[in-house]
Amino acid sequence: MSDHHNETFLSKYIFSLDHKMIAKQFLITGMFMGVVGMLMSILFRLQLSNPGESFAVLEWFLGEKWAPGGVLDPNMYLALVTMHGTILIFWVLTAGLTGTFANFLIPLQIGARDMASGFINMLSYWFFFAATVVLLTSLFVETGPAAAGWTIYPPLSALPQAIPGSGLGQDLWLIAMTLFIVSSLLGGLNYIVTILNLRTKGMSMTRLPLVMWALFIVAILGVLSFPVLLSASLLLVFDRTFGTSFYLSDIVIAGEALHHTGGSPILFEHLFWFLGHPEVYIILLPALGIVSEVISVNSRKPIFGYKAMVISLMAIAFLSFIVWGHHMFITGMDPFLGSVFTFTTLLIAIPSAVKVFNYLATLWRGSIRFTPAMLFAIGFVSTFITGGLTGIVLGDSALDINVHDTYFVVGHFHIVMGLSAIYGMFAGVYHWFPKMYGKMMNKKLGYIHFWVTFISAYGVFFPMHFLGLAGLPRRYYSNTAFPMFEGLTNINEIITFFAIVGGIVQVLFIFNFFYSIFYGTKASKNPWGSTTLEWTTPIERIHGNWPGEIPTVKRWAYDYSKPGYDIDFVPQTESLKEGEEEH
Amino acid sequence: MTNVFIVVISFLLVVTLVQLVRVGQLLGDIRKKDFNIVTESDNKRQSFLMLIVGLTFLTSCVWQYFAWNPLLLPSASSEHGVIIDELMRFTMILIISVFFLLHLFLFYFLHKYKKSSDKHKAYYYTHNNKLEFIWTIVPAIILTGVILYGLNVWDRITNADTSEASVIEVYGKQFGWSARYPGEDQKLGSYDYKLVGGANALGIDIDDENSLDDKVTRELHLVEGKPVLLKLRSQDIIHSAFMPHFRVQMNCVPGMTTQFTFTPTKTTKEMKMLEGDDFEYVLLCNKICGVAHYNMQMKVVVETQEEYDAWLLKQNTLSEKLLTQK
Amino acid sequence: MDLNLKNTTYKQLLWIGMASITLFFAGLTSAVIVRSSESGWQDISMPKYFWYSTLVIILGSIFLIISKKTVKSGKNPADYIFLSFVCGVTFAIFQFKGWSSLVEQGKFFVGEGSSPASSFLYVITFAHLIHVIGGLISIFVTYTKSVNLKYSKENYLGIELTSIYWHFLDILWIYLFAFLLYII
Repeated sequence: MSDHHNETFLSKYIFSLDHKMIAKQFLITGMFMGVVGMLMSILFRLQLSNPGESFAVLEWFLGEKWAPGGVLDPNMYLALVTMHGTILIFWVLTAGLTGTFANFLIPLQIGARDMASGFINMLSYWFFFAATVVLLTSLFVETGPAAAGWTIYPPLSALPQAIPGSGLGQDLWLIAMTLFIVSSLLGGLNYIVTILNLRTKGMSMTRLPLVMWALFIVAILGVLSFPVLLSASLLLVFDRTFGTSFYLSDIVIAGEALHHTGGSPILFEHLFWFLGHPEVYIILLPALGIVSEVISVNSRKPIFGYKAMVISLMAIAFLSFIVWGHHMFITGMDPFLGSVFTFTTLLIAIPSAVKVFNYLATLWRGSIRFTPAMLFAIGFVSTFITGGLTGIVLGDSALDINVHDTYFVVGHFHIVMGLSAIYGMFAGVYHWFPKMYGKMMNKKLGYIHFWVTFISAYGVFFPMHFLGLAGLPRRYYSNTAFPMFEGLTNINEIITFFAIVGGIVQVLFIFNFFYSIFYGTKASKNPWGSTTLEWTTPIERIHGNWPGEIPTVKRWAYDYSKPGYDIDFVPQTESLKEGEEEH
Repeated sequence: MTNVFIVVISFLLVVTLVQLVRVGQLLGDIRKKDFNIVTESDNKRQSFLMLIVGLTFLTSCVWQYFAWNPLLLPSASSEHGVIIDELMRFTMILIISVFFLLHLFLFYFLHKYKKSSDKHKAYYYTHNNKLEFIWTIVPAIILTGVILYGLNVWDRITNADTSEASVIEVYGKQFGWSARYPGEDQKLGSYDYKLVGGANALGIDIDDENSLDDKVTRELHLVEGKPVLLKLRSQDIIHSAFMPHFRVQMNCVPGMTTQFTFTPTKTTKEMKMLEGDDFEYVLLCNKICGVAHYNMQMKVVVETQEEYDAWLLKQNTLSEKLLTQK
Repeated sequence: MDLNLKNTTYKQLLWIGMASITLFFAGLTSAVIVRSSESGWQDISMPKYFWYSTLVIILGSIFLIISKKTVKSGKNPADYIFLSFVCGVTFAIFQFKGWSSLVEQGKFFVGEGSSPASSFLYVITFAHLIHVIGGLISIFVTYTKSVNLKYSKENYLGIELTSIYWHFLDILWIYLFAFLLYII
């Protein structure tokens, strides 16, 4: 299995079955989509801070049709917002994050030669790639890409008369999403089966590193929630193309009464959020796992409360299935149902609080080493606290009445889900880059990247809470239509300024990433002094991961600074000494 | 020309970056030590930065609060809005104190427990059931309080007494609102979406005798201190009727009717005295609905009973409007 | 991978996949429940062909059980697999028959004469049939493999996987049919 002499270019880089190569494919596609999504956000931020003003850059990117005279077209604004959300949520933070780290880490950390099925794994990537192509194609459709928001609520998403983006753009969106769902189902199946069956000798479930637990639970969440989104969008497709009435009823649009009767748009919202909420945790949990790993390694201390960490992951995952109604408090739902959803939603704060306290306890009396990965992990803890707390406001049905769909929500979920997950992803890339490419990423550039990102990200999203408390709704093309919002322009200017700074500094990361692949300094076998199995593999990539036998695991993954040892970490492959307790 | 300029500048920037990184690597080679391995001076510098940036961040949050507080919504102009505001204040105080507390711990730990020398060894501490139990149970107790308080408020808002309330229909469509008052019989006439068209923008069934005295208006007028039951409908897609000053929001969904009950407490005139002459109550759309979503609004006026009666008298009934046309 | 590990791994893959499919249908059927509790819901009487197809799909399962027993005892199960394939095809034919009798009743998928109930009925049965076609393909593959003597007493994973999936389709259909009888 370990010989790869007769690999051709195609089988090595394109149709690779090797999990490490597939992980890199996911990572680079994800990074590319990340750049696209971020660029979109900067384009619409320009309009939000300077409503109606002309920018050459808008015309340069969007052309005369969508930015006549350099002023962003309102339809294009909505399309950009929609695509920004779709790309970041699904393409970057679901596929880019889970696809990269699940594929890369699962076999390496549990001690397997590859995924259970390399072929399914490859299919998973190529479905994702096809989805990417279709989604990007929709940007160049005459009527514009989908523009009904990433939540594609019908009837807006069902009727091209309501908004031009709901024509061909929405069709392509739905096709792309279907391909995407197939990709993540295939991936998820593989992750679960691999973790269950292919663990090396001695690697019991309770010895798994936390990132494995997180990815395992995420895969289960995905496999159970994505099919429901598929059924929701299937019905939407029927409504759109065949004229059924699942979601549509009693509509008069463009002066014409449509034949649809008896459907309910609220039905779609229920089905959508049944996926949509677990999706939030599909994004967040891998980051939680990565951060647990990075914090423990760089504090040179075992993660505090391993069991509590696993149980709280499970609790968060379980609860995520019974809270979807908190997105729908003001759809006229039964007030009692609203109370139930408030109750279940606020319960999530308990396992989340446990996680934060355990992170703090891990740092306490540690010997903290500030690698760029560690800095991003710390950034994660900070955003997780900030964003988690504002969730207590939004989960409370009574308070939600007045902040629902305002910028308060935008600030909340960008911090708790967007920033946290992105920080987790950066932490993961900086931490495992030496394993992926055998090279080190430049430390100084990493530091600059972190500090500018950290400051500008808070500069973007913290002020948004104030916009929301001032009553400004999200997805507004401009704040100038209402005298009551006119004073908010200077907050918007600050936000846009930081958005541009934060956007530009990502160039440093991309430069660092690609430069280091080719010209970075050579990494040693275990540069961070880590206990887990992936650092026992040779530096250069081989198919099959270990040249000889797969090592056996003798202890848990967190023996850092254990008394009785000279070095401050004991690899998992080291036998317990006589009389030594595991932990 | 500018394009060429941009390309040249970007190219030079990349070259500079490459050179800087190169120099670092070469220095590392000379010292026989990988430049990218974190040293003690790095730890010192980064942990210090963490403390400074962290404290600056917390200070900037305080600054933002004081600088932007005047921009926030004025206190609620409705009965239930006042209890929402109280709940909000309680929740905010709670989460802001936790926010500061946890961040101070975080920044302090990072500074205090940085790796200062090779001999510095972390404390091997895997778990403490008692401690973990405490920090599971304490948030649980606090949250129980938050939940009970929140549910109590929610219950009072959603189960408000509607027997005394006057019914007004609010109707949304791309991109505007209208209101329908029931007229003297206090009953709204029935409707059918297939009748929408021409002057009958709301699809009201004129064969229903309750419809004849209904009044359709472009402004929403409410009486101070009198409960009102809004019945919400939509013509085309989902809109959301949002009146931030009253803490009122409810979606308008095609094919169904939703409702919200509240009691306005401050007249527009009183608010003008408090907030300035250009103050107006508004009803705005808060669910993405298309190209002019950001400008879908209706003026809301709260006034005394006499002013309200006088205004309503001036509005045409449906029969006047439609029959004169025929 | 050794044979045992391969067996459990592939079976697990299938089980989790089936859990996923179950959730897909759970989404559709819960949509029906939500919708049917609102006004304007009309019941539809099931065509008799759906009863026949229920029988046929169960028969297919029985043949697959027999073929698994046969291969375990060391004989060639090709004939039984072929019979189950025939059952599967008959099932598909009966589904089409059922739809055309619905059309005769005036219950259409879309347009005049359709209602949310009838639209849901078509969507659910159609989605199930798509999965049955997947099952038919895998039965066909196992059939050609067993004709070519690819299976033995020790190695009959393909037959096992196919029959698990077919039993699943079987149970899924019974659930859906009961659901449709009761709710629609």
